[in-house]
Amino acid sequence: MSEQKSPVFSLRHVGVFYKRNRGVFGKPFWAIKDISFDLYQGETLGIIGRNGVGKSTLLRLMAGIIKPSIGEFVNHGYQASLLALHLGFIHYLTGRENAVLSGMFMGLRKKEVQAKMEAIIEFSELGEFIDQPLATYSSGMVARLAFSVAFQADPDILLIDEVLGVGDAQFSQKSAKAMQEKICSNKTIVLVSHNAAVIQQLCNRVVWIEDGVSKSEGETTTVLTEYEQFLHLI
Amino acid sequence: MFNHHFTNVSRYTELILYKTYADLKAETERTYLGFLWWIFEPIMYMSVFYIFFDVLLQIKTENYVPFLLVGLTVWQWFKSCLSHGAETILASHHLMQQVHLPKAIFPIILILTDSTKFVFLFILLLVFLWFYGYGVGLPYLALPAVLLVQFLFTASLTFLLAAIVPFLPDLRFVVENLLMAVFFMSGIFMSADAIPEVYRSYYYLNPIVSIIESYRDILMYNTWPSGLALLIIGTLSLIGIWLAVRLIARFEYVYPKVMQ
Repeated sequence: MSEQKSPVFSLRHVGVFYKRNRGVFGKPFWAIKDISFDLYQGETLGIIGRNGVGKSTLLRLMAGIIKPSIGEFVNHGYQASLLALHLGFIHYLTGRENAVLSGMFMGLRKKEVQAKMEAIIEFSELGEFIDQPLATYSSGMVARLAFSVAFQADPDILLIDEVLGVGDAQFSQKSAKAMQEKICSNKTIVLVSHNAAVIQQLCNRVVWIEDGVSKSEGETTTVLTEYEQFLHLI
Repeated sequence: MFNHHFTNVSRYTELILYKTYADLKAETERTYLGFLWWIFEPIMYMSVFYIFFDVLLQIKTENYVPFLLVGLTVWQWFKSCLSHGAETILASHHLMQQVHLPKAIFPIILILTDSTKFVFLFILLLVFLWFYGYGVGLPYLALPAVLLVQFLFTASLTFLLAAIVPFLPDLRFVVENLLMAVFFMSGIFMSADAIPEVYRSYYYLNPIVSIIESYRDILMYNTWPSGLALLIIGTLSLIGIWLAVRLIARFEYVYPKVMQ
């Protein structure tokens, strides 16, 4: 069904290389080699593959952070960003200041973050602590703030790398649930994971990547079956 | 398209200003004395030179202390921007892996934080000079121009270094030593008369020499600085800024790929 809609991203034989070493003699290292797929409006696309096959590089490419070395990547005019936790956090500033700073790094205006501040404080359950420096927080509290801020950023396309829930057991459940609700809404989402169960549960379509190459693209169950057969073979 | 561009510029301006505020605040929160260190630290630094040159060497030059302090204050601004600014794009590696930002904003933020600290120091210098007995004359009107020229000159070199250092991190060590060399050749300790006549025209190729002399003309000798020298330095600096910003923009999508 989604095939009838117009794509938001189109990738055709995309490859990206890094320089393995510094300096003039750095040999190219191809993080992704040949990736082709389309992303459609309103769908949740899963990207599955083992560790180190180029999933994170692919996300960076879609977030507009890097450009392909070869091939064609077309963004049909949408703003995509990574779900980034702790973006630009400064240890010595208060939770509120960090929320503003982090939100601004994600592309919100100062006023927009301030308007969402109540929601951030409520979701993070920080209460009075929001005006204390991060240095006084427990790691769980930092995680709660980080998630609550990142969750407020609302790009056209949300790119998620593995993490769904964070923090202690209780907050982890709550954040994962909020995230799943967002994913199941009409939002366009790319979810990267090596966990087939998560992909199975949340995604409409899946792209399977192995060694920098898109092996297969299509309906979730079909692609996951192929992926699992491949895992048994190696 | 233009509208989109305008929105981006105002968004990034807002981000630069807030991040500058955040960095300054974080710095004051990190120590007991907070922002007082912006003044104490340079005072301690300058006291070393005062004790060495005025007390120990007993240099006979008249009014040597104010002469020295003007040079050191001005140098401090230049040096801190360059030595801190060189690393800004390199140090933002982690951030730029997660979100796309124009890389030029990192050196800009640093220049703004270090310039804010310089404002405190400069006011302190003015107060010292007034207590020492120097008056405020008409040439003070040229002070904003001199400050602007130094700002532009500092910015051009800071951008250039910030653009190159991610590819050549070793350059940072060269920069530290080059700064040291330039420090001794910028007329901070002595006036240009002390330089042999044969070398003097080369000596003036260092823009810092003219900049420091301009400050001394205004603050100590109550004379107008050389407009031509300032105009040349200012113009070259603007060209330098333009080139360096083009260079950073050229590598916009390469910096995130440079391995740390």
